[in-house]
Amino acid sequence: MIAALVIAPIAIGLALLALPRSADAVAKWTGVAVAFVAFAVTLAQYGAPDESLRWLQRPFTANFHVGFGTGPGFWIVLLLTLSTGCALATARLPRMRDFVVQMLVLLGAMTGVFVARDLLLFALFWDLMLIPVFLTLIAWSPTKTSATAWKYLVYNLSGGLALLLATAAYGVVQGSTDVLGAAPGSLATISDAWSLWIFAGFAFAFAIKTPLWPFHTWMPDTYADLPPAMAAVVSAVQSKAGLYGFIVVGLVLFPGAMHAFVPLAFALGLIGLVYGAAAALVQDDTKRVIAYSSLSHLGLIVLAIFSFDPVALGGAIVYIVAHGLFSAGLFTTIGEVEAREDTRMLSRLGGLGARNPRLAGGLTIVSLAALGLPGLCGFAGEILILTGLYRAGYVWQTIVALVPIVIAAAYMLRVFQGVMHGPEVDDLPQREDMSPLEMLALAPLVAAIVLLGIDPGPVSSSTASRAVTTAHAAPYETAALR
Amino acid sequence: MSVPQLIVPFGNADWFALAPSFVVAVTALVIVLADLILPRRVRRGAGIALGIAGFAIAGALALRGWGHPYAAFGGAFMSGGFAIAFEEIVVVAGIFSLLLCGLLGRDDQAGGALALMLWSASGAMLMAGAANLLTIFLGLELLSLALYCLCALASRAGAREAALKYLILSSTASAFMLYGMALLFGATGSVSLAAFAGPNISTTLFDLGCGLFLVGLCFKLSLVPFHVWTPDVYEGAPLPVTAFMSVVTKAGALAVLARFAYAALPAAHAAQILAPLWFVAALSMIVGNVAALAQHDIKRLLAYSGIAQLGYVVVALAGTTPQGMRYAIFYLGAYTFMNLGAFAVVALLSRERDEGSRLGAFNGLGYRQPALAAAMTFFLLALAGLPPTAGFTGKILILASAVSAGYTWLAALLVIGTAISVYAYFKIVRAMYARTTGAPILRPFAPASALPWVGVAICAAATLVLGLYPIAPSDVLPLVK
Repeated sequence: MIAALVIAPIAIGLALLALPRSADAVAKWTGVAVAFVAFAVTLAQYGAPDESLRWLQRPFTANFHVGFGTGPGFWIVLLLTLSTGCALATARLPRMRDFVVQMLVLLGAMTGVFVARDLLLFALFWDLMLIPVFLTLIAWSPTKTSATAWKYLVYNLSGGLALLLATAAYGVVQGSTDVLGAAPGSLATISDAWSLWIFAGFAFAFAIKTPLWPFHTWMPDTYADLPPAMAAVVSAVQSKAGLYGFIVVGLVLFPGAMHAFVPLAFALGLIGLVYGAAAALVQDDTKRVIAYSSLSHLGLIVLAIFSFDPVALGGAIVYIVAHGLFSAGLFTTIGEVEAREDTRMLSRLGGLGARNPRLAGGLTIVSLAALGLPGLCGFAGEILILTGLYRAGYVWQTIVALVPIVIAAAYMLRVFQGVMHGPEVDDLPQREDMSPLEMLALAPLVAAIVLLGIDPGPVSSSTASRAVTTAHAAPYETAALR
Repeated sequence: MSVPQLIVPFGNADWFALAPSFVVAVTALVIVLADLILPRRVRRGAGIALGIAGFAIAGALALRGWGHPYAAFGGAFMSGGFAIAFEEIVVVAGIFSLLLCGLLGRDDQAGGALALMLWSASGAMLMAGAANLLTIFLGLELLSLALYCLCALASRAGAREAALKYLILSSTASAFMLYGMALLFGATGSVSLAAFAGPNISTTLFDLGCGLFLVGLCFKLSLVPFHVWTPDVYEGAPLPVTAFMSVVTKAGALAVLARFAYAALPAAHAAQILAPLWFVAALSMIVGNVAALAQHDIKRLLAYSGIAQLGYVVVALAGTTPQGMRYAIFYLGAYTFMNLGAFAVVALLSRERDEGSRLGAFNGLGYRQPALAAAMTFFLLALAGLPPTAGFTGKILILASAVSAGYTWLAALLVIGTAISVYAYFKIVRAMYARTTGAPILRPFAPASALPWVGVAICAAATLVLGLYPIAPSDVLPLVK
């Protein structure tokens, strides 16, 4: 069944191409149905046994090995299916059928990344998930040039190829790449010389994907040019692949090399954290505000992962899911705003809230989650991470990390205020408020934001506690914090 | 009084070893005869059908020899796993090239053209098993001579220029090789590769001979810096011939190169003699991919991409490990399918006097012919080494082989080359799917022949299946005795 979660969306997506071009509605609702069925199936698969099929025997063992175990992959796949379903339900685009195909292929490929238990399979899906985004950037580009698409591809594929080389080297050295689900201690340790540069290859890929400053320049353009539905999924889930990689590959397989990279990761993470927040304050394009805020938030998660503190790590997982939820929500609502006003520039927008109270309500909740209001999901992640960082002895880093979290309130409220408050702008079109259907599409995200904010326990304790013990950190203490 | 008896020292097994190559050559004769008898309308179709049948029989015959290595004709032709693998690649490439032959030459030239293609293939199949300098040269010239004529077949000035360029440069390469062979013979006193590996041969003469021999082979493989003829010839030659050349000449030359590198060199000096070859491979990967970026003609682009792809294959041979040989053959097989698949797509865009090879022909193809565009995207993904294709799996195998043989720097260069190549390949993807690349320069039309669709379908299926279930045959080490 886990393999079906990967294969079925891709197969159904490609099969949609057989529909006539005019069958946009059929395609759209098929896509939504596939995503929500995948969500339900994923829920039912918690703790299910792994599935494996032999692939390569030489030059190293590699298998089609997929599984959730109890690691963070399960929660991220839930997030992925949920955000895909919600985003597709509200999508309005020309050539909808083709767009649904791209979304479903992306869904299948990204599910593959998070369920892969084999490094080579992980690398395969890692590269595969770039293609639908590239095609979408090209075929639905708002501009005449494809500069954004190239930027996206060149950055991410450079990472993907480094990942591939590192995987091949790991396979040769270790004799097997079927290691992501392996029991701790069952793997032979690799010599320092090898593990350092193999990890460097992985880290390069993860840093671009996350993105870590200074590899982030593809991100604002990509998010701004993608149709809102795909921007929601890409920012919610695809960028988490890098962080997921740091956890399941870095912490588990290369703890020594991770330790060696701590100063660098902290430096880049802190720079990204501050720079992203500062840049988000001055953007005119609302999508870019969210993009830079992502840079800031994700920098915080990188700090958490590299702190080797179990509490911070639990927080990192919570925040990964939380950030996915509210950024999917933000992109969806901004997409709604753009569909109503034909612009998303703060300098043009204003006063939308008076005529669109429901949309204003939706944007309020996701913005509050993003700025870390206690009770919503963002806060749950942030407090765990900051506590963990402080506990691990990174005192001044914690203080620096606090500042951007405060700035987050400034830029999120600036967006809300600029879009919803103030006098109505006369020369913008006036359209209907959210339909019940659109509200229904946003509802699951909002529900999840609240639920995760109230009880992050299941997610944070799902942490690969294995990862932590392998990393020789202190015993896990989530229970105390719940 | 006893009559002196002529004793032929060769038995059935010797002839059987050569059977695949013979069958192809004889099929060519049958095509020429059929061309004389049959009515004009059906000549081309009959020729293609006969050719495919001939290749199929040859392929089946070759497979029967699997597991029974035999040194035929006193070691001049080594049949066995290695030769069979290359023969099969030539057979597959021949069949798919024939499928594209709907537009090759005028109708009254078709029979001869098809026959030449088969003769050329039989030369390559001879090279697959050649373990003696004479057989190598015989196969090489059989391969090349037929191709000179084929290149000139298109009715445009560029074709003649291409043919002449190919003739002159290829002859130069042959001359290098021949001189190298002469020196090798001088150093060892034998034309048999088996005699080279002897313990006490290491003279300047031998090294010089090896160098010239390798230079000649690199010309034929079009590895940088011996590649300059390739794009012009590929561009000028008719499309099916380009497709044929892009695989068959390389398969033939690679078979000789691998046999020479693996089995013919004295163990003590092999690494030293072959060292320049790895630099040539590295240069090919980088230069080929960088040059591909600037191309506006798909045939030139595929020419440069082929240069780089052969660089990848040679990387697999680095360190001459047994597993490297297997992966080189796997990647060459994968390259056969993905490359010929791409050529089949171009053939479906071809009309008389317009081969649809300018990149502009792809503008908006994703909206005019979605299936064709999807197939092309898939082949380009494979050439770029992206999943889920044989190109991806092949590349990971080569990377692993290079790393385990201690050539990590080559693996790193391979990755860099691949990163560059992505831009070249995806330029076509962009042209097909972007809404803003301008009006298509081609009006809709029915392709001259629907046969290339068969090639597209089979190549796509093979590229996918080989990607998910890579079959790298074991038992393919080249032998010389």
